[in-house]
Amino acid sequence: MQTSKNNAEEERPPILKSWKQLYSIVAINLIVLIGLFYIFTEAFK
Amino acid sequence: MGTLDWFVLTSFLLFVVIYGTWKTRSKKNIKDYLLANKSAKWYTVTLSIMATQASAITFLSTPGQAYTDGMRFVQFYLGLPIAMIILSVTAVPIYHKLKVFTAYEYLESRFDLKNRALGSILFLIQRGLAAGFTILAPALIISMLLGWNIQILIFIIGGLVIIYTATGGSDAVNKTHLLQMLIITIGMFSAFVMIFRLLPQDISFLDTAHIAGKMGKLNALTFDFDWRDRYNFWSGLIGGTFLALSYFGTDQSQVQRYLSGSSIAQSRIGLLANGIVKIPMQFIILFLGAMVFVFYQFVTPPLFFNAYETDNIKSSVHAEEYRILEEDYAEVHSQKQIQLRELLTAVESDNEALIQSSVEMIDQSREKENTIREQATGLIKRTNPDLDTNDTNYIFLSFVINFMPVGLVGLVLAAIFSASMSSTSAELNALATTSVIDIYKRMIKKDGSDKHYLWVSKVATVFWGCYGIMFALYANRLGTLIEAVNILGSLFYGTILGIFLIAFYFKSIGGTATFTAAIIAELTVIGCFFFTEIPYLWYNLIGCVILIAIALIVNPIISKRPQMTK
Repeated sequence: MQTSKNNAEEERPPILKSWKQLYSIVAINLIVLIGLFYIFTEAFK
Repeated sequence: MGTLDWFVLTSFLLFVVIYGTWKTRSKKNIKDYLLANKSAKWYTVTLSIMATQASAITFLSTPGQAYTDGMRFVQFYLGLPIAMIILSVTAVPIYHKLKVFTAYEYLESRFDLKNRALGSILFLIQRGLAAGFTILAPALIISMLLGWNIQILIFIIGGLVIIYTATGGSDAVNKTHLLQMLIITIGMFSAFVMIFRLLPQDISFLDTAHIAGKMGKLNALTFDFDWRDRYNFWSGLIGGTFLALSYFGTDQSQVQRYLSGSSIAQSRIGLLANGIVKIPMQFIILFLGAMVFVFYQFVTPPLFFNAYETDNIKSSVHAEEYRILEEDYAEVHSQKQIQLRELLTAVESDNEALIQSSVEMIDQSREKENTIREQATGLIKRTNPDLDTNDTNYIFLSFVINFMPVGLVGLVLAAIFSASMSSTSAELNALATTSVIDIYKRMIKKDGSDKHYLWVSKVATVFWGCYGIMFALYANRLGTLIEAVNILGSLFYGTILGIFLIAFYFKSIGGTATFTAAIIAELTVIGCFFFTEIPYLWYNLIGCVILIAIALIVNPIISKRPQMTK
């Protein structure tokens, strides 16, 4: 019982409620970077 | 190189070796030695993954890449965060739950022994050769620019890595990676600050960006699709995802880094943090290269950045012709400086017509410069017909040696040595682990004690280190072998990725179908190499797609066979 509880806690990401949220942050970060690169490229073209 | 440079360089290298060896000297069992006792925190995993990927040649080449081709190389990494998410969802929990030492162990539990053997042998061939190249490439460039003996350099880089990797195993690799990433970051940051200090006083940060941008160096994003073009948005997003999946998911040198994580969560966060940090890091390194380019708009660059070959031509029968070309080049360059000032004035006054005409005049000057450079490389080629006239790898280090102040040259060189050693140590660690776990323990001696396997692992690390050194020494005499190593890697990567993709995502396909398809796919890729002119970078995708397609076709036939015999 204790072991399975520990495992479940261990699998949870820090601060966030689920891994899906953390994956979303990485994906959103990529989209934001692409947007910033686009602005950067166009601004100094 | 001043005395202070030597002090900075040698003291850092010695500190890394002594620290790595001393802190990890008491490894008592195989799990501790090969997987750092699965105790690494997420930030150690992230830094170790990054240090493994950032080899010295990447570190030397990337600014040069921006100098010659602009920043579009950053798109090569767009698929990496996607691959990090996919691997966090699939590979990380599987590897952890099965408590594997290597990625190829998983292939046996999913398929059978023959698939495990195939995966591990392909890895050993490919990574074994790459380890030699990782040592050779920076040694070659440093020796060319500083006139150091290349053989001594190879022995220093290889020898130092062997000492701490063989002593402390995976934990030593992790611990030294932290120090090496720190010095790489400090070295790059110092170079960045110095460039802005070396630029003319009246040139602001915004001016440098305008100059680089108007001359096509800040092209971070390009949407034009051309399958022969390696770096655009589409190839980066699609091809980059496949490449990152292959490298981080199936290459033991990376798998071992996140397998040392203390839990699934720590390994996952380590990978995901890499997915967040890697692209900005590459962007900064490329921006540094673009700034080196701007710097050389106000200081006349050498006609050819490989100083060793430049000295050779200047002492040959073509010396006079080369001197005239240098004078012509300096003249065109000084004209271009006037045009650049006009461009900045036009940008400041926001006069679009004037901007356009300035850019056109600068382009004409650049064309003249390129023509003179081509004539110069033609001359150099006449003196040394076997020479590779691409001097991209020499640009950044040439700038550092000629313009950075005393002390910082040693710091940047320490960063370059660190990048080389960090990649090599992870490679030796992975090669030793695969040799011992997948070959020796599984096929040669199954009943050895933990102490015995620990000893064999240390011997295997020393063996692969010596192999890398020998390869680097031998390859030094065979210039074209370097390209052959890259081609050889591409011949196998697609097949390895295909096997793992089937293992993860096609649960109905069995071991024999996968193995048969892998052999056919590998033969097809080898056939492409010998009988077609397809660029070798596409072999990864071809091998992978053919393997999966054939496995899907063959699997129903093979799985029906036992029923028919019954």
